[in-house]
Amino acid sequence: MAALALQYALNGLATGSLYVLVALGIVILYRTSRILNFAHGDVATFGTFVAFTLITRLGVAPPLAYLVTLGVTGFLGAGFYYFILRRAKEATLLGQIVITLGFALVLNGIVVVLWGADTKVFPSLLSETKVYHLGTIVISQLSLGSLLVGFLLMALLYVLVQSTKVGLAMRAVSQNPLAAQTLGIPTRRVLALSWGVASALGVSAGILLAPVTLLDPFMMLDPFLKGFAAAVLGGMDSPPGAVVGGLALGVVESLFGGFVSVAFKATLAFAIIVLVLTIRPEGLFGREYKKRV
Amino acid sequence: MGRFLWRVLALAVAGVMLAGPTLTGAQERGITPTEVVLGSSMPLSGPAAYWGAVGKGIDAYVKYVNDQGGIHGRKLRFVLRDDSYLPPRAVANVRELVERAGVFAIVGLIGTANAFAVRDYIVQNRVIWITPTADSSIWAGFRQKRYLFVTYPSYVHEGAILTRYAAEKLGVKNVAVFYQNDLYGQKGLLGVKRAVAALKGAVKLVSAVPYELVVTDLSSHALKLRESGADAVILYATPRHGALIVREMAKIGYRPRLLASFTLTDPIMFTLAGEAWDDVYLTAFFPLPGTDPKVDETLQILFRYDPTLRANPFNSVAGVAFLEPFLEGLRRAGRDLTTDRFISAMETIRNWDGQVIRGVTFGPDRRQGINRIYIVRAEKGRYTKLTDWIEYPVEF
Repeated sequence: MAALALQYALNGLATGSLYVLVALGIVILYRTSRILNFAHGDVATFGTFVAFTLITRLGVAPPLAYLVTLGVTGFLGAGFYYFILRRAKEATLLGQIVITLGFALVLNGIVVVLWGADTKVFPSLLSETKVYHLGTIVISQLSLGSLLVGFLLMALLYVLVQSTKVGLAMRAVSQNPLAAQTLGIPTRRVLALSWGVASALGVSAGILLAPVTLLDPFMMLDPFLKGFAAAVLGGMDSPPGAVVGGLALGVVESLFGGFVSVAFKATLAFAIIVLVLTIRPEGLFGREYKKRV
Repeated sequence: MGRFLWRVLALAVAGVMLAGPTLTGAQERGITPTEVVLGSSMPLSGPAAYWGAVGKGIDAYVKYVNDQGGIHGRKLRFVLRDDSYLPPRAVANVRELVERAGVFAIVGLIGTANAFAVRDYIVQNRVIWITPTADSSIWAGFRQKRYLFVTYPSYVHEGAILTRYAAEKLGVKNVAVFYQNDLYGQKGLLGVKRAVAALKGAVKLVSAVPYELVVTDLSSHALKLRESGADAVILYATPRHGALIVREMAKIGYRPRLLASFTLTDPIMFTLAGEAWDDVYLTAFFPLPGTDPKVDETLQILFRYDPTLRANPFNSVAGVAFLEPFLEGLRRAGRDLTTDRFISAMETIRNWDGQVIRGVTFGPDRRQGINRIYIVRAEKGRYTKLTDWIEYPVEF
């Protein structure tokens, strides 16, 4: 029983680390621009398809393909902010969020037209069938790899935000955009960078997920919703909250599916959103909710 | 003056609109001397978009038929609408197809829930409806079936046949079901339950694990199946989820016997599931690609008209299987086509073989065109036919 619970928890942790990557992207954008980016999942899907084409059609070596993809997707996200969202000056916050929704639909349509709606096998450097045993507990090479890469990316993000000048600028812009601008910080470029970083995080989740969940134009739908739930759980403006929220969601969900009801496993994340918003709207790690004036 | 002109114009427009139907009154909806219009609503986007290939297969075959000169001098026009697998959108699409596009018939329409949602509308508007791809047992006992013709199997009977085969031929004692949590999966599960009850203790249903269409993390589902201790798992899933679950099961070292619905006979399973898709027992309701020259020939035709269908041979050829009886009905109805003549012609179809679908029978009281499936084994990228046709009762 304990071993089984541990197995469920470990599976949950592996899934949760990918929720974290998605949630971090959502949180970064929410922190800097107060925008909930509905296109986050579709940007990631688009990027994952780019990686797929690079590897399977053009024969690019996977590590190089991953890097190129991170770049391309980063530029896609930044470009969306710089050329589309920024131009909608008159739009209210809600209006801007609706623009991201529109962008999501457009991107999804492009993916279906360019690559088709059928499911594809995404090649991976790690094997999914090769498993490591730890007593009765098993973890596949692929799950272990994504777990490690997930944590590595989280660490990299931490370093970027906390110990670089760019990160300082990002934090300044998120705290007070007007003051940051007055002090000579190029806010627009910093915001575009935030969009780029967030999109790159999203596509890394996509690249790690695709070998496991197979690749199709809607593969990020569920991870995006879960990442969103994780962000709400941890606190929409707290990156550490996103990490804890994502991992907690993954583990709780897996245990719930295993021991309570597998039929309602998919619904659990949404129940958590409702619960968090009712009891502690700022989330586990968020600052107390104050209306910005 | 301006207002007067407007009134004249409005009257004229109203007059034309009123006269329109009477001028063409002799013609029925969707039939002109040179054209027959048919339509369908299918998931071309959204998580079930994969099945949209059925519609694309129909579209490609319609083009082929037209290039052969059409039927009795009429070309076919196929109007396909996307419903993302959402019943409300299917309703809107069907209304548009009937009221604006003016279709003579609806061919297909994917999803049991979607078919349910549009059923009453189609019946009330007397639209010919050929093979909604929905569990055919939903029509059992359905009275208003004059305009309906179905060549799609019943998941309930299929589930029962698979269970019986597992118990009697494979020596399975404990069976588990992995199913999609909607009418598709639930009907399959129902069939398994019925067979388990009928077999009186020879086989037990130890677990039924549902999944939602949008979910892609199936690790806990696989663990649940393993914990149930079943020696066989029956799958009612999309190709993607079918592949995911067998991979997850293989990962945790659980290798039960696998049985699956005909919806998973798509050869793409060998690619998606890899080595895990070996020694799997499935059913089929038409000869599978690679086992029959006529079916393979049809596939080549489809690929010629739409090369993208190569990624999806099973679904595209299934589209032809659904369309074919309609084409035969048109041929039999002759040059003076009306809805009633078409229905009478369809009712003369007896044990008819098409390019893909075989042994179709309709009649004045019979709308269930086929009532048989057979069992195949998938092994190393190929199918072996294991049984002859297995019949089940005609119910509508």
